[in-house]
Amino acid sequence: MRKVAGLCFVAAVVAMTLAGGPGAAADAAHGKVVFRTCAACHSEKPDAIGPSLRGVYGRKAAALADFRYSNAMLRANLVWDDANLRDYLKDPQGKVKGNRMPFGGLSDGNDLDDVVAFLKDYN
Amino acid sequence: MATRLKDVDAVTVGLGWTGAIMARELTKAGLNVVSLERGPDRIPGEDFTIPAVRDELRYAQRLELMWDNSIDTLTFRNFGNEQALPVRRIGAFLPGEGVGGSGIHWGALHWRFLPSDFRIRSALAERYGAKAIPDDMTIQDWPLSYDELEPFYDRFDKTCGVSGRAGNLRGRKIDGGNVFEGPRANEYPNAPIKSSNAGLMFADAAKSIGYHPFPAPVAIASSAYVNAEGTTLGACEYCGYCNRIACETNAKASPNSTLLPTLRLEPRFELRTRCFVTRLNYDKAAKKVVSVTYTDMRSGEEFEQPAGIVLLTSYVFSNVQHLLLAGIGEPYDPATGKGLVGKNYAYQFEAGANAFFGDQELNPFWGSAGMGVCIDDFNGENFDHGGLGFFGGGYLACNTAAAPPIAGRTVPHGTPEWGSEWKRATVKWYHHAARFNTQGSVYANRANYMDLDPTYRDALGRPLIRLTYNPPDNEFKMSAYLLAKLEGVIKAMNPTSYDMHPRPKIFTVVPYQSTHNTGGTMMGADAKSSVVNRYLQAWDADNLFIQGASVFPQQHGYNPTGTVGALAYWSAHTITTQYLNNPGPLVHA
Repeated sequence: MRKVAGLCFVAAVVAMTLAGGPGAAADAAHGKVVFRTCAACHSEKPDAIGPSLRGVYGRKAAALADFRYSNAMLRANLVWDDANLRDYLKDPQGKVKGNRMPFGGLSDGNDLDDVVAFLKDYN
Repeated sequence: MATRLKDVDAVTVGLGWTGAIMARELTKAGLNVVSLERGPDRIPGEDFTIPAVRDELRYAQRLELMWDNSIDTLTFRNFGNEQALPVRRIGAFLPGEGVGGSGIHWGALHWRFLPSDFRIRSALAERYGAKAIPDDMTIQDWPLSYDELEPFYDRFDKTCGVSGRAGNLRGRKIDGGNVFEGPRANEYPNAPIKSSNAGLMFADAAKSIGYHPFPAPVAIASSAYVNAEGTTLGACEYCGYCNRIACETNAKASPNSTLLPTLRLEPRFELRTRCFVTRLNYDKAAKKVVSVTYTDMRSGEEFEQPAGIVLLTSYVFSNVQHLLLAGIGEPYDPATGKGLVGKNYAYQFEAGANAFFGDQELNPFWGSAGMGVCIDDFNGENFDHGGLGFFGGGYLACNTAAAPPIAGRTVPHGTPEWGSEWKRATVKWYHHAARFNTQGSVYANRANYMDLDPTYRDALGRPLIRLTYNPPDNEFKMSAYLLAKLEGVIKAMNPTSYDMHPRPKIFTVVPYQSTHNTGGTMMGADAKSSVVNRYLQAWDADNLFIQGASVFPQQHGYNPTGTVGALAYWSAHTITTQYLNNPGPLVHA
């Protein structure tokens, strides 16, 4: 297990470096803790408020067929890469104005880095 | 002729907090459970999200989540010599309808009763002499102690991810929490939610007088929390759309956000919505409820659902109405004092105040409805009633938060109620008005009760429940005392002006007060003094378990839901560990 986790971590760091991320300090384990706030709505259960975020990294915005996205998100024309995820999670209404996610945003830069690092491997 | 359906292990009549707790616990124990809910399904992914929510007009004013009075209502009168009239549109209290019941739109204040509340008649007799309790005050001890219920309070706290600060951890008093509360085995699952500016001012003022302020305990997660069912609750976003409205971040606990995500995936659980239970079919000789009859509200078709265990998990009024219609137990007669079904109705006695701070920015638009700072110095037996001329009490709160665009326009007394002057005043004072409340107990009185209305019927032809209620003098004295204490704290906050709002002497069902109706199927130590035993099992039908605030012998000075949930867990625990092995009376009469 430890080996696999280590490999994932290395993969995450490599991916981040390639993507021009904000440095190698991101901590996906802490990102998982930050993600709890997201998990209240973003689960795979049929009555969930938000769409599943499994495999969100690298996916087009509003890509899941079984979720009723807002028009704002349908029109956003984004791919969830490092920069877009970071901008969106920092200020959801600033990045995609009119989207219906009721979340004010993450103000802590480290939390942002860490949760993006976590989402990269969240499949 | 009703279509008879296949037997199930257990059926819940309604699916709110108690229905969801019972269904979850009984399915875990291996039973097949059917929930019959008269209202629609309410699914967070559809109903708790934009564009449905953040709509004060739709939910808080037009009451979309509430009891549908086009089908069913109650009749009301203040006194037994009056003709009761049907309430065409509920107002003073707002029971919910649909999956989740009142547990969706509640303010999420999550309290425990005091240890002395559970033995209130004994406690008053010991402290003031048995003769001090007036003859018409029909209060009773609860048939269980705080200590017995504590583990189940704890379980319900952990289902809901309650936020607060303990004031009594296993007997150790902690400043900053409620030092008057009973001993808690564990700290609250979450740290307190934020306090409003006005709440902080209230805390400082209360402390300066020598009182003990603490943050209100709320079933609103202050940070993300994984509950005992493995469901994640979100952190409160302080959005301001809370009371009477569903929570769009799964922070405010509802059955829908805490238990149903698991229950909906449970193969032993079946939910039937728009199924209105009209009758419990009672076999008096066998002392069993053999089945329930319901109408599918979409087709009008009638069904009979036999069940091994019947869980009466609807609102107070329906619980009492079901027993009266089925002839379970003896109806209460206020003239003779005989009979128990419908007896000891009580209704939280709340009275408030507003204060205006011309130079203080209070930012009242943010927050949650339950958010507030409280003092509990004048609740129950936390203070000496010697020479005061009343019993009971309540907590005092400053709950200035989540003031919505329509109803949140608090203006000083004397302002016109409409027109340009009113508009100017709402703009002038919106940011500077603070709101306060006193959450008073109601000690049951012989004259207040519920029975079947002799005249009016619902859309399905059943007699409506009739409520006869006016607060007793004891409660007006209690409330005047609480308001005087509150006024002392408000003065210490140094406002520009303030208005105290005592309740009128004649109760009215129109302006909203609280949805804290209690009693009618009270729990007690024996069949002579109660409708259900300490495990919420009906004395007259051993497979009938009655849940909710209808089992309260009286209403204490706190919001009821914390105790309602704890009692459901306590009852479920007894059913699964004792009743299933040996069905029959759990307490011998």
